[in-house]
Amino acid sequence: MKRFLYRSQLGLHIVMLALALLFLAPLLWMLTTSLKTPEDIVNGLGAARWLPRPATLVNFHTVLNNVEEFPIWRWTGNSLFISLAVTALVLVVDSLAAFSYARLRWRGRDQVFAVLVATMLVPGQVLLIPSYLLIRQLHWFDTYWALIVPAGASAFGVFLLRQFFQTIPVELEEAAFLDGCGPFRVFWHVILPLSKAALATLGIFTFMATWNAFEGPLIYTDSLEMRTLPIGITIFQGHYNIQYGLMMAAAVLAAMPVLFAFLLFQKHIIKGISLTGLAGR
Amino acid sequence: MAKMVRQFQVENPDVQVNMQIIPWGTYYDKLTLSLAYGGAPDVFILQAARFSEFASFHTIRPLADLYASAQPPLTAKQFAPVPWHESFYQGVQYALPLDTHPIGLYYNTKLFREAGIVDQNGKAKPPTNLTEFLDAAKKLTKDTNGDGQPDQWGFVITNQHSNWLTIAHQFGGDILTPDGKHGAMASAPCLQATQLMVDMIYKYKIAPKPEGVDAWLALRQGKAAMAMEGIYMLASLQEQPGLQFAGAPAPQFGPKQGVWGGSHLLCQPVGISPEHSRAGWRLMRFLSDHSLTWAEGGQVPARLEVKRSPQFTALPVQAQFARQIGYVVYDPQVPRANSLNQFVDPAIEAALLQLQTPEASMTDADRRINQLLARP
Amino acid sequence: MQAEAKALDSGSVSQSLSTRSAAGGRSGGWIGWLFALPHLILFFVFLLGPTVYGFFISLREWHVLAKQHPFVGLANYQAALSDDIFWIALRNTAYFVFLVVPLGNLVSLLLALGLGQVRRLQTFYKVAFYMPVVISIAVVAVLWQWLYNTQVGLLNLYLGTMVNGLRQLGLPLSAFQPIPWLSDPHWTMPSIALMSIWWGAGGNMILYLAGINNIPPDYYEAARIDGANAWQVFKSITWPLLRPTTLFCLVFSVLGAFQIFGQSYVLYGGGAGPGRAGLTLVLYMYQQGFSQYEIGYGAAIAYLLFAIVLAFTAVQFRLLSNREESRS
Repeated sequence: MKRFLYRSQLGLHIVMLALALLFLAPLLWMLTTSLKTPEDIVNGLGAARWLPRPATLVNFHTVLNNVEEFPIWRWTGNSLFISLAVTALVLVVDSLAAFSYARLRWRGRDQVFAVLVATMLVPGQVLLIPSYLLIRQLHWFDTYWALIVPAGASAFGVFLLRQFFQTIPVELEEAAFLDGCGPFRVFWHVILPLSKAALATLGIFTFMATWNAFEGPLIYTDSLEMRTLPIGITIFQGHYNIQYGLMMAAAVLAAMPVLFAFLLFQKHIIKGISLTGLAGR
Repeated sequence: MAKMVRQFQVENPDVQVNMQIIPWGTYYDKLTLSLAYGGAPDVFILQAARFSEFASFHTIRPLADLYASAQPPLTAKQFAPVPWHESFYQGVQYALPLDTHPIGLYYNTKLFREAGIVDQNGKAKPPTNLTEFLDAAKKLTKDTNGDGQPDQWGFVITNQHSNWLTIAHQFGGDILTPDGKHGAMASAPCLQATQLMVDMIYKYKIAPKPEGVDAWLALRQGKAAMAMEGIYMLASLQEQPGLQFAGAPAPQFGPKQGVWGGSHLLCQPVGISPEHSRAGWRLMRFLSDHSLTWAEGGQVPARLEVKRSPQFTALPVQAQFARQIGYVVYDPQVPRANSLNQFVDPAIEAALLQLQTPEASMTDADRRINQLLARP
Repeated sequence: MQAEAKALDSGSVSQSLSTRSAAGGRSGGWIGWLFALPHLILFFVFLLGPTVYGFFISLREWHVLAKQHPFVGLANYQAALSDDIFWIALRNTAYFVFLVVPLGNLVSLLLALGLGQVRRLQTFYKVAFYMPVVISIAVVAVLWQWLYNTQVGLLNLYLGTMVNGLRQLGLPLSAFQPIPWLSDPHWTMPSIALMSIWWGAGGNMILYLAGINNIPPDYYEAARIDGANAWQVFKSITWPLLRPTTLFCLVFSVLGAFQIFGQSYVLYGGGAGPGRAGLTLVLYMYQQGFSQYEIGYGAAIAYLLFAIVLAFTAVQFRLLSNREESRS
């Protein structure tokens, strides 16, 4: 019996299951609340009642069908387009730069890289006002440009990919160089194919961060059509200040795409992190 | 508002209106940045509390010429005096007042009747002064499940800022001295008002400690009998099925009349082109003429003929609240009014939560206010 | 996995920050520049430029609506240092860092250790613990505002049920008093910290898990043959070999924790919480810059925070590299 318990890790599973429930409970609460009617929510206050009585999609219906005031499909489209565009930009620009810092030698390289790393310590809020002035000057205000291009400036991706590129054995490129390949072909044919996991990791991180970004879209856009989903949700919040059901329905809708992306890629993310050496050894 | 703009668009096809809806918490951020760096809308709303600030930096356009050319004419006589007066800064008129929104008393008529607080016709009778208020609130505070804690409250403090200013004004106090140069929160009338609010919670025990959203929910759920809130909260009560409530003017707690209010003022940015300005004025005029639609959403129109119209007087709560329009008071009319609130509100809260004595917290606030006002 | 673990040896954090040129670097000359250029342009225009410009703003008396922005030298910095609310914000922020960094890392590490042990359902647990990380802070705070509600929040309801249950079992406990999670200044920061740990623990957990997975299994095999118990294994193998991961996580947790903003911002509707107990440095900067529009003053606060974070990180890296040296 004892052996069985040990084998099946019963005790461990009980603990882990309890913890998992603890972590999931708030999210489940969000989900079930989004399925409740307003009366159900108000009457159920003070009684930990989980299940909606009756379950209804009326909140989702309200959220999705008031297109004139809350063009939620357009917001979703914006969020999706911006997140994908930023991800593509970051992957291209950062992988090129990371290759340069990891493998190519040029004067001032290490000093420049040190500056890059140092700026990772700058609190993002420092940038809000100067960036706003800049975007005004470029006439990018309330355009997709404002939400996409500046996101490529971050040093995080360069740092992460450089870490990874350094772990690729040099011998592989030496051979390619001896075969007369230029740096770009080495980058394209040797480094990139070996870095899929790291690129996937950076990609998914960038996607999720862009999707959830709050301050930038808030300040650099102002028309209803240019909003992203998380900002749209706050418009909602303003309109229905304590209509929890609607709020939670909107929150569920906003969280779904990132959760979905995460579930789809979770294997790669975890593998990617362990490979990039982000975690040390 | 969207409805009014659509109607305007139908009647004025030559003017193109692009309406922006901005999440409430970020409205002023956006507006300020666009006024400072371009991209400001041709017509926008300022609240009374923020008006002086924008006027003092000369970011909004004086409207004298537009008023002068208005056809049919638009003059002071058509407006309630308080919001009309509010549209001036240092003698120059910068705005078209759309509405004013004093807070008022919401009360649960069912709970009132159950507690026997009724007039001779058996209808719930809202308190009008401090004695009646305390009397009613004590009867309405109950421990229904016998756990030693009240679970039905006579009164809830839902908005400390507006409730405090209302009571302070009724005792003759204000945030600033009459010349607007110094803090006056630690003055005797203000301390009296503060102490009264503290006593409601800890001495008379008729109100719970103020804690975020649950206070308002308590009123919605029928677990609180009275609250003083803005008319804009009406919709939230109407949504609650089965809730029987009514509106009344705020009770008079002190020796004077007074009730805190806000006001929406229609403005134009400085530097707007003449054509846009004229088109914008037509929209502003239209909104003012049709402010009944706006009123249904919960505001008391600034225009007297709209306020006196049968359609408006038929709106039960709005009409009750509108009875106070003669003695509405706003936040201090100084350029730094908005900045004052970073000291005012925490001081009130600290006193109500008993983190500090009223005297200590108000003295702190005065010190900070004086520091701020002394800055160039 | 073995080979990968080996390859990773050359990629630890401390090296990436040293100025030692990477092994096997090719002499690229202008080509190297060319590769770095697209990112560098974006970096200079949209990151370094605005950062430096922000510093100039901090040297001026700058109200957003004013036409003139007179140069005032370090007056904004002096004003901040003699502003008692700035110090309150700093103290609150430090308290948050003190709460969330050790506790959060402990939770992450324990979760990762648990994950390292289980042989089934690992993916399910992993996903469950990581899920909160992907939710935006706006959503998280709105949700927790409700859970934390003193009267009707789930947390107090369940705690109440639990305490009453224990009392019925005869434990000498006093009746449950609802905890004022968000409305009592003493509870404010702990509540924010708890919510933040829930929100973020999964992130570091993944890093710790990666670290644990990279420890060669033969070490554990050897320990098992020696008959070591679980605690001994942890103490003499897992913990020491996890040290680089731990330090990395600590450094970045401190960095992130100092920048706490969204939690208070959403929970207290842009305000500072009861008795300013929820006011953090970045929130104060935001209030000054975007509510009061004193962007010169706001920028000065931002730069003071930057200086503090920089100093902290420098100290941590000092400690980190010292230990690395003493080990080799």
